[in-house]
Formats: sequence, structure tokens, C-alpha cells
Amino acid sequence: MKLHEKILTHYLSCTSPVDKEGYLYKKKERNATYQRRWFVLKANLLFYQERPADRHLLGVIVLEGCAVRRAEADAQFAFSLVFGPGLKTYRFAAGDRQTQESWVKALLSASHCYLSLLVRDLGRQYEEAKQQQGSSESRSSSALKPSTYSFLFTAQGLTTTAVVREGRSFSASTVLQAPSIPTKVVAKKSPKLWPRRNAYVTPLNGPAPLYGEWPLVGFDPLEDFSKLHDYYGQEVKKAREEWLRSRQTEEERSDEDLIDLG
Amino acid sequence: MRFNEKELVSLSRQPSEMAAELGMRGPKKGDVVKKRLVKLVVNFLFYFRTDEEEPIGALLLEQCRVEKEDSQTFSIAFLDEAERKYLFECDSEEQCGEWIDSIIKASYEFMRKNLIFYRTEIHRLTGKDPLEQYGISDETRFQVSNGLQLMPRDTSSL
Repeated sequence: MKLHEKILTHYLSCTSPVDKEGYLYKKKERNATYQRRWFVLKANLLFYQERPADRHLLGVIVLEGCAVRRAEADAQFAFSLVFGPGLKTYRFAAGDRQTQESWVKALLSASHCYLSLLVRDLGRQYEEAKQQQGSSESRSSSALKPSTYSFLFTAQGLTTTAVVREGRSFSASTVLQAPSIPTKVVAKKSPKLWPRRNAYVTPLNGPAPLYGEWPLVGFDPLEDFSKLHDYYGQEVKKAREEWLRSRQTEEERSDEDLIDLG
Repeated sequence: MRFNEKELVSLSRQPSEMAAELGMRGPKKGDVVKKRLVKLVVNFLFYFRTDEEEPIGALLLEQCRVEKEDSQTFSIAFLDEAERKYLFECDSEEQCGEWIDSIIKASYEFMRKNLIFYRTEIHRLTGKDPLEQYGISDETRFQVSNGLQLMPRDTSSL
């Protein structure tokens, strides 16, 4: 199938803003080494090249129909894009926890399907808000409770696989969950409204998780990181050592400090 | 440039409301009209030879201009090249209008603009940011000043 690349590169370089960019390590499938690449996320497209200044793009990943997973068993600060049975899994590693979190979060909300649901939901909220604007009732702070709305938002895996199967007719009973990840700017209400914060780690009906790749189901890896760390224990240590070794054999391209893994 | 072809082909097989046999003509001089199964999935326009499972090609519907050419024909121009257009012949004026509308609305950038509009308006009407409850209010792609924002280089990764 021909992908008209010029259209993509033209879109990448046009004036609309980039959603996220930065260095990540991308795992080569063949020899399981990681190569540092400069990634640029724009809309539902993840481009990559060797360096930010390069004109030559190495590749693009269309982010539809994939789940975003943490993959701590692979390497430290690792995550992956899983397209499902018979399709690819792209594996990445970030340099630190913050970068990993930031990318996972950005990728979770990158798909066209996700945006489509979000716009629909906000459209409804807007109509309701307009109608209520003239009302003389005083509004409580919980006036826009999510229970009022049929659409909630979930991990990418749930949204894209379930929704895409249904085509464009989304049933009102589609229940989704917010991937609320603690960041420096913490959402004021989200912990209360969205107790299941590991949604992005354990999609309910996304592609089946690969054995060994999943943290314990049912707890939030961010809150109980020490538990997670203990759980993987020796596995993590081993993976780190392997990864460090493979990093050292990689060609000398980094002129910045090596990642502090200490 | 590498791309996830198999996954994109898989995407092209997803159900779509906008899928029809249209007369399609490429942008180059000398291109002729050919019957193609044209299918709109997310912000891609796939086109197939009738009865083939794998699309011939995929067109990303961003930064393009969709225009009505005549009562039953619409065009899409990419790369800011107004002269190089893809032409699509429909069976009726109504169908033509539906396609134009759908393609415009399928653009990610179009959806983003709508989202930013709703976000701003809801905040103005209610005093609350509707994205907070989803934990995505700080995502760059949903920022109100999106068009003016400079993207800082993420050097914290290393």
C-alpha cells in the first residue's frame, strides 16, 4: 500500500504546533538493542528521526488501534505501543520516570478516536452549559458530574479497539475511564472521580497482555511503586544490566551525559 | 520513510460510514478517472481497487483543501499545490456534499479546534475546565493558546 509520504511530511512541517517531541530509545526488533531517536508527536502520528535538526525522517507510526503499555520488564522507564494479535509492538525506553510518564500520557490521548469521543463529550457539555446559563438555579460545584454523561475516557487500548470495531456509531453505554496520571499539576477532582488510575496499564478489553509484561492487576503502579519494584525485583535488575550492556555497545552518538541509572 | 503498513492496512478494514465507489483521478497530467472504492477512516482516505482487500493507497487528510468542482465532483488539493488536485466523481450532488462535509470534519486539526472552542466556552459559562476531570488539562494538544505556543525541546529525557 502506498502511503503518500509527502503529505505527511508537509503536515509535520506546517505551522500547526507539535504535540510533543524529545529523545527516546527505540528498540530494534531484530537484535533487541535500543537506539536513540528524536520523536515528534503530531496529531495521531509519531514521527522519528536521528536528530532534531535532521531533514530526513526515518519513519512514522500511525497511532490508531494501539494500546499504550508500561513495560517495566523490558527496561527501566520502558513503555510500548501494542497493535494487537498479528500486528507490531513498538518498544521504547525513556531516560527517566518523568519523561516516561509524559510520553505515555501524551500517547494515550493522541488517537483520532480518542479525540473524536472527547469532542463529542465536550459538545454535549457545551450544549448543556448553554442551556443552563439562563437558568436561575445556583449551580453546585459538582454540576458537571461525569455521571451525567455517557462518555468517559479510557486507556487508549480500550478506546481504539472497542470503538473502532463499532465504527462511527458509539453506543451511549460505552463506559471509559480517565487515565489520570499524577503530574506536577494535579487535577483537583480527578482522584475522587476516577479511582481506577491504572486504567492505562490494564485495559479491560484491549489486546491480551503479554505474559510477564504486566504489573499486578488492581493496584496503581504509581502509588505503590515500591510494591511494583519489589514484585519485579530480580527481573528488573537483570533487564537493567542487559540494557546497560547493549547501550554500551551502541555507536557513540550521544554527546550528552549518559542516563543516570544509579 | 518507514511506516507501520500492516497496522495501517488493518485500520483501512475498520467499518466506516463513508465508503463508496467513486470515480477517482490522480493529480498528475495524464491521470485518468478510475473506479475506486474510497473509504474514510479516521483522518485517512483509503482507496481500493474494487474487491481487493488491501488498499492501493492512503491519503492523510490534514493540511488539504476540499472543494466542490461541479455538482457531483469534489477535489482535494494537498501540499498547498492548488493545481495538483485529486478528483472524485460521485453519483449525486447529495453524495458529493456528504463526502466534502465528512472529509473536512475528519481532519484532526479541525477536531482540535472544536475541542479548544468547547473547552474555552464551557470554562467561560461554568467557570470550570472540562478537561480536568479527565486528567488531561495540561496536555499540549488541548491548550487554548495552541496556535501561539512554542514547543520546548524536551531535553529532560537524557
